[in-house]
Parts: sequence; C-alpha cells; structure tokens
Amino acid sequence: MIEQLILTLPMAIIVLGAFVLLLISHSKRFNLDRLNLIAVFFLILSSCVQFIIFKSNDIEFLFSDVFGETFILDTFSRIFDLMFTIGAILTLLINNDYFKSRRYFNGEYFALILFSVFGMMMLSHAHELVTAFIALEIASLSVYALVGYHKNNRVSSEAMLKYMVLGSMTGAFFMLGTALIYGAVGSTNLSDIALYTANHNIDEMSLLMVGASFISITIMFKIGAVPFHSWVIDVYHGAPYPITMFMASTFKIAIFAIALRLYIVNFGEVNVFWSELLQAITILTLIGGSWMAISQTLVKRMLAGSSIVHSGYLLIGISSLGLGSEMAGPAVMFYLIAYFISAVGSFGILSFIASQSKTQMRFEDFKGFANRRPYMALMMSIFMLSLAGFPSTIGFLGKFYIFTSAIESGQILLAGLGILTAFISVYYYFKLIAMMYFYESDEQKKKLPIDISTILIFAMGLVVVWGGMGTTLIPFIPGADGFIDIAQETINSLK
Amino acid sequence: MSPNLFFLLASLLFSIGLVGLVSRRNLFVLYMSIELMLSSINLLLATFSKVLGDASGSVIALLMIGVIAAEAALFLAMIVHIYRSSRSVDSDNFTALAQGKE
Repeated sequence: MIEQLILTLPMAIIVLGAFVLLLISHSKRFNLDRLNLIAVFFLILSSCVQFIIFKSNDIEFLFSDVFGETFILDTFSRIFDLMFTIGAILTLLINNDYFKSRRYFNGEYFALILFSVFGMMMLSHAHELVTAFIALEIASLSVYALVGYHKNNRVSSEAMLKYMVLGSMTGAFFMLGTALIYGAVGSTNLSDIALYTANHNIDEMSLLMVGASFISITIMFKIGAVPFHSWVIDVYHGAPYPITMFMASTFKIAIFAIALRLYIVNFGEVNVFWSELLQAITILTLIGGSWMAISQTLVKRMLAGSSIVHSGYLLIGISSLGLGSEMAGPAVMFYLIAYFISAVGSFGILSFIASQSKTQMRFEDFKGFANRRPYMALMMSIFMLSLAGFPSTIGFLGKFYIFTSAIESGQILLAGLGILTAFISVYYYFKLIAMMYFYESDEQKKKLPIDISTILIFAMGLVVVWGGMGTTLIPFIPGADGFIDIAQETINSLK
Repeated sequence: MSPNLFFLLASLLFSIGLVGLVSRRNLFVLYMSIELMLSSINLLLATFSKVLGDASGSVIALLMIGVIAAEAALFLAMIVHIYRSSRSVDSDNFTALAQGKE
C-alpha cells in the first residue's frame, strides 16, 4: 500500500502544487517571481521522486484492487513523465522575463500549467481508453484556457475559439471510437483489446476497426497531421510565446505517448490495416507542412509550420513500425526526444528575445541580430541546425534513424520524400540564420545577461550538440548513445 | 425494443451535431452541436451496456457527463468573454488570424 502511494507521488505532487498555487494566487505577498519559483519547486520535487523510483522496473498497475488495470507504471510512462516535467520546468524558467514583461500573467497561469502537466502524466500512464480520454481532456482544457490567456488581445481569444471548437469536436470522435470499441470488445481495457485483436480475424472486427480509426482521427488532429492541420499555425500564432513553447514541445510529446502505446500494444496485430492510410497522411503532412512553413513571414508561424513537418517525420516512423521494422520503435522514441530538446530550445530562445519587443517577431527583426547579441544568435543557429537535421546535432541522428527504419520496412518513397522535405526545411531555417549573420546592425552590442534563462538556453544548446556526437564521457548527461539506449529501453518496456 | 433503433437514433444525433458544427456560424449553436455529439455517444454507451449486459458502459456514460460539464464551463466562459471583447457571437467575425494580423 505504502509502496503504491510512493509510486503515485510524482502525479500527486503536481496536483497538490496546482491547488497550492490556486490558493495563494490572490495573496498580495506573492509576486510572479515567487509564484513561478513555487511552481518550479513542485515540478522539481516531482521529478526528483521520479528519479528515485525510476529503477523499479517491473510492470505494475496502480492500486489494482481499486482501479483495476487503468493505470500502468512502466519505463515508457516514466520516461514520458520525466520529459513532461522537464518541459514544464524549462517553460517556466526560460520565460521568467516574458512573464514579467506582460501584464496579463497571474497566479492561475502556473496552476493551469501544472494541471495540464498532470493530465499529460495521466495520459502516459493510461492503460484504458476512458482514462486516456479523461486525461486528454484535463490536459487539453488547461491548454485551451492557456491559449486564450492574453485576455485583451483579440488574436489570442480567436486562437482559443478555433482550438476549442475543433478540439472538442475531435474529443467527441475519441469518445465515439471508445464507445464502438467497447461495443465490440465489451471492455475498454487495453490488455483486453489486445487479447481480442490477437484472437480474431481482421474480417470479424469491423466495428473495432471503425472505432480505432475514429480514435486515430483525434490523435492526428492533436499532432497536427495535414488533413486536420488547419488550427496549428493560427493557434500557435495567437497563443502567448510561453504557451506556444509548451504546446509545441510538451503537449505534442504527450499525444505521441498515447499514440505509441495504442499503436504498439493495443492494435499491434492489425497495424497493417492502416498502413496505406498512414502513408497517405504522412506524405500530405510532409508536403503540406513544408508548404506552410515556407510561406510565412513571422518566425513563430514558420516554427509552427515546421512543427507540422516534424509530425510528418514521426509519422514515417510510426508507419514503418506498422510494417514490422525492428528499428522503428526506438527511432520514433529517439526522434521524440530530439524534437523535444530542439523545440524547447528554439521556442524558448524566441520567447526570450520576444520578451523585449511588443510586436510579434518577423524575419526582418532578426537582421543584424548576430552583431547585437552574438551568443544568442549562436544558440539560435544551433537549434535551427538541429531542427533542420544537420550532422553533429541530435536532430540529424533522429532523422537518420527514422529514414533507416523507413528503408528497412521497404518504404523507399517515404524515405525519399522525407529527405526531400529535410532539404526544403534548410531553406526556411537558414533564412533565419542568414538574417542574423548577413546583415549589419547599427545598434549597440548588448551585454549578455547571465540569469537562469540564458544559462538554461545554453545548457539546452549543449545537450543538442552533445546528443548528436557525445558519448558517455560526462556522467549523468546522456550523449548520443545514451539517448539511443533510453529510447531502446523505453520501447522494450511496452511489449 | 430492439437496440437497433437506439443505434439509429445515436448515429442520427451524432450526424446532426456534426452537420450543425460544420454549417452553423453562431457560437452557441456550435457549442450545442458539440454537446449533441457527446450526448449521442452517451446514448450509444448506455445501449451497448444494455446489449452486453455489462454495467461498465453505463458507468462510462456517467463519467462522460462530468467531462462534458467541465467542457461546458470552459466553453460558456469563452463565449461570454468573446462577446464582451467583440460584441458578437458570430464566428464569421473572427478572421484576424486568417488574415495574418497581429
């Protein structure tokens, strides 16, 4: 019993922290700095507990005599939990300046972030479809509210409206799929569904296949795959910078957590059914995302478009997973980690820069940026190189494994298209680098402020490079092979 | 009664909700369409629960009502907020992002 409670602690601490923040958010004694520190304190406490219980590797269900098999505790969910908490910590700390530069942030903001992290952690632990739906709603409802956080800005409200109407609609699709699967199987538990798919012929399971297709609509919508992409760029644009960073890095990873679990464990036997559909969506996502990223003038919208392309690369990996590639699972996992680090870095540095400007950052605003702030320009270039997939960054290794797995499963077309879009992506990423380095600037060179935001940005830059070519020379900081081991272990724990 | 009628009703309600969501412009109607879709799923769950002779479907329907209520709270708050800021609940009026304004 006590052991189970300790295993619950990481999630419990997050919820507790959210409620504490709600309670004290209207007290005069706590300014934004302190509230931020309290939120970060709870997140760090949670991640410390996660580190301590990380090694208990045996698969276990949480309070199985009360909840049945609804919550699973395996290495897969623990890795994702760590990524969510680290993502939230980085979001809160890097954006400290941004919070102070805008007047609309208050205590509830931090509580909402913690609630949303709690929802994501529940999502990665969910071993049952209704639990997954409720977790998804907890995370999404918090993110809807966060997107519209700039109350007096029409654009922000409009982004919230768009996201919420479309998100609720696709949430209904998830539940419809769950209801149909329940009708076919008689249970919503993932092990029961896996048993059912293993014991039946594909012709006998039409109801289950329809239900699962509805669920995949929701997942495709949330990751922004192309027929369901219409919200991505607008919502990323309308949301305040810290929220964009949170959505693009942490929330997207959370959706992939449930997608991988469903796809590998639940529908592992019937993956072939979707392979052609998935290939079509992948091709559309790669081409459509590149198209949208090329045509933008705002840096934030470009990064939003490029995040669609990254979803496309991940879909290549998932599609090869369905066709039985051995490498695909770890490849997807490695790419998730690589994308997570690069996205946190690039969006973080963008919002760090934007905290000093009142308008949205255009490409032209970066003219001569390297003269004004050489170190920040260097870091921005590193993140752009990693997102574009240049060798010696972690992004390159991620793309390498994804394309290898695609070729291994015989999808030459997808691999070729992926390489082509990687070339196209060089255009829009290097446009920013060219703006920074190829123009002179009249303004004075600014001194680099040494505070927690810049230190964290530099640390992320180091991880990007070290994850691309490093080894296990430095203890506790995983290099390239360390990340691959983590990815391998994570996927193995699913089976 | 045969369960087929209930399945028919549920799919009819879901389709009405989906069509309403796609074709109507008023935010309240959009909200009610989404509620209709979710409620039709509740009906579907309850019917399956009866057909399978298993109580968990009805329990899921109860849980769903809680989730729907949470969504309703946020949705209505958003509609009130949007009406206050722009004096309109017509979704055609919100085109600033599509036109690339800041």
